[in-house]
Amino acid sequence: MSNVIINRVAEFLRRHPPFSFLEEEDLLGIACSVEISYLAKNEVLFRKGEPANPHFFILKEGQILLQEEGEIREYCDVGDLFGVLALLGKRPYVLDALAGENSLVYAVPVEEFEKLLEKNPKVSLYFAAGFAAGQVVFRTDLGQGQKAREVFGRKEQDHSLLIFSGQSTIQISKNVLTCKTSDSVQEAANRMDKKQVSSIVICDESNFPIGILTDKDLRSKVLAKGLSPSLPVSEIMSSPVITKKPDSDFAELYLSMIKNRLHHLVLTEDGTPKSRVCGIFSDHDVLLSMGNSPAVLIHALINAKSSEEMGQIRDRAETMLRYYLENEVSMDFVAGVMTEINDVIIQQAIEEGQKQLLPDFPEMEAVPFAFLSMGSEGREEQLLRTDQDNALVYGDVPEKLKEKAKDYFLQLGTYVVETLLTCGFASCPGEIMASNPKWVLPISSWKAQFSEWILHPSPEALMKSSIFFDFRVVKGSRSLGDDLSNHIFDEIKKKPIFLNFLAQNALQNPPPLGFFRNFLVEKSGEHRDQFDIKARAMLPLTDLARLLILYHGIPGVNNTFKRFEKLAEVEPNYKDLFTQAAKAYEILMRMRALEGLQQNSSGRFIAPEKLGKIQRHLLKNSFAPIQELQEIVQVRFQLDYFRS
Amino acid sequence: MSWWPFRSESKKQDFVEEYLRLFEKPIPGIRKITQLDFVVLDTETTGLDPKNDYVISFGGIKIQKGKILVETAIEWYPESPKEGADTAMIHGLVNRENLLRPKVFSEKLLEYIGPSILVGHHLNFDLEMLQKIGSSSGLKNFRNPSLDTLELAVRLEHGPHVNWQEIPMKEYSLDALCERYQIPSDDRHTAGGDAFLTAQLLLKLLKVAEKKGIVNYQQLFR
Repeated sequence: MSNVIINRVAEFLRRHPPFSFLEEEDLLGIACSVEISYLAKNEVLFRKGEPANPHFFILKEGQILLQEEGEIREYCDVGDLFGVLALLGKRPYVLDALAGENSLVYAVPVEEFEKLLEKNPKVSLYFAAGFAAGQVVFRTDLGQGQKAREVFGRKEQDHSLLIFSGQSTIQISKNVLTCKTSDSVQEAANRMDKKQVSSIVICDESNFPIGILTDKDLRSKVLAKGLSPSLPVSEIMSSPVITKKPDSDFAELYLSMIKNRLHHLVLTEDGTPKSRVCGIFSDHDVLLSMGNSPAVLIHALINAKSSEEMGQIRDRAETMLRYYLENEVSMDFVAGVMTEINDVIIQQAIEEGQKQLLPDFPEMEAVPFAFLSMGSEGREEQLLRTDQDNALVYGDVPEKLKEKAKDYFLQLGTYVVETLLTCGFASCPGEIMASNPKWVLPISSWKAQFSEWILHPSPEALMKSSIFFDFRVVKGSRSLGDDLSNHIFDEIKKKPIFLNFLAQNALQNPPPLGFFRNFLVEKSGEHRDQFDIKARAMLPLTDLARLLILYHGIPGVNNTFKRFEKLAEVEPNYKDLFTQAAKAYEILMRMRALEGLQQNSSGRFIAPEKLGKIQRHLLKNSFAPIQELQEIVQVRFQLDYFRS
Repeated sequence: MSWWPFRSESKKQDFVEEYLRLFEKPIPGIRKITQLDFVVLDTETTGLDPKNDYVISFGGIKIQKGKILVETAIEWYPESPKEGADTAMIHGLVNRENLLRPKVFSEKLLEYIGPSILVGHHLNFDLEMLQKIGSSSGLKNFRNPSLDTLELAVRLEHGPHVNWQEIPMKEYSLDALCERYQIPSDDRHTAGGDAFLTAQLLLKLLKVAEKKGIVNYQQLFR
């Protein structure tokens, strides 16, 4: 530790509230965790709609402008705090922040600060007061804030949160589904299902709102508790309801949702529960108002001018992902959308790379190639940005062009890998990437490599096969990809014993549950007492699905849950088991992604005791098909004889 | 005894071998500057003669994804060969605690810097002094790419084909540059303080570089 540096940072923080309330020891702890960045004039720190950073910001020098559509809403001076609102509300940013001058910004991780919020009432009061008053910027000195308002000619009414978009962009559902207090839960759920909405408002005779019932209530208050659906809704509904006027501005609506932790807000004619219901405003509407929809994101990616910009858009996609996962949107759709977004990034990178490289390699324009994603991205299952796994195949070229082709495609592959790096996809620790000369090869070399693995299935070869055989062409020539797939199937037909080796390999994953149906957790190391959902639950299923698909020689189905669905068609006698396995895999994917988003990790390790009862139950149930499938494989590939 | 031609070279310690292995794979030229890892360092020494002077303190701080990470700031005090005789004087100069033996210091140092790009003001001098400490562990030189903030500042202000004879070196001292780039310099002449100043200077210089179209590794190390 360098005390000089930490003291220097602490000294600055100490001069500004809320840091001025802190004990020396806590202050040094905060100072130690600061990250410093420098922004040139007009450079953007964050944009509206982006998910909140795990940091909030203090301006060290310079000036930061908070803007909306080019119009300045707020103005930060040295010592001011900003980016707090999004963070405490765990919502995307609602304004653009850009440097008005060259600026030095200190970023403080929120988890450090949350500890202090609990410990130090003065600090939490400081934030609570500002938060309630709708401050965007927490001022060092109120006088400066006043000055700022004069400079930018702001009006009196701007005391509220002007940070949100104007009324015109708000989507409010006018058709509100309602029912009476005496209706049964069953009846209410029925109506919600018919209208395909996630909430129903319970009203009295004059159509005044009394309570609200949501999808989540049905799940956690009725099903989880084992209550009867014939109960009247009045026993289950959340009541009283918080109401607002329909012409309230977005800011007011949004803030009252954040403050009350609501997903739905009821709108009434005069804004009180003592008037008629006239609309409802949901989380989903918020999301739409913020422009985070797949179509908007993909459009933005295609028009992005740099890899940094693509990275920012990919960050926004994560907000959308979280919303989808929490709202139980079908995994098929979620995985499809995220794969599409990831693919667009790769496709854009290839086009840009070609544009830069082709002038130096004109003869390469005619050589066909395909960029392959492998592993989870190959299987269209990569929700979070975990490691890259990719490779490149190109058509065979005449002898005299061989060196040139090698050089060109390696540079092209490296360009894509570097772009993905900038967009937040980590390097593959095993170097299975299109920047590694070992994995940028002409088709004949790929075929030879695959044949080699199938002929000599060493543990290493089996491990590689399990990654590479899930390849998928993301851009370039489909026929090269088909050629490779067919080669794999042909070779396996010639040497079917490979499948027995692969089967044996598929059974080697560690089991999820112990003898007493308890979760088997890691015994030591960084993840001690945590459950490895990837190795113990997901990998067994991926491996089994791959094995059986190769066994049947079915091309073109990569996704693990789609593979199981396909297998259910091919082997109707095991239809139920395969359908169950597909479902189980979806549940595991969702759990892992949610865990990853919450912990800001790969989501691979889950602490079982932190799971709710239902989640624990769901997770355990998802293991059931694994064992059954393993038994089938054991018999089908005669592994009992094979092993000895 | 440095003139003695048959002096056997110190055997490489395992940690040195491990360090050298980090450089088997080069950094791709098109990697964005924002994706590069830097270690900004400074040393305080007893004087300016690499042969006879030695390092009193070493300060460092890391920059990753374009951000200075305060958490990574360190200041270490290597034990020097003359420790016994000069202890009193040194204690008068700086408050040195937890002195590190050369081997321990070098092991910590190599682990800290890893394959990052090393940055410093008059960096070659610092590296020479640090290598001297590592020589008994078999460290012959640092393999890391290195970036001197002095050279970078000159290149950015005078262009790449500058005639070094014409550069008024006084204007490129750390003090002068801090003043020009508006970095308040209160902790001059502690290794940690100077490393921190140099890190801030680097962030500002890299912004200038970006405006000139220097955005990737290859362009930075052209």
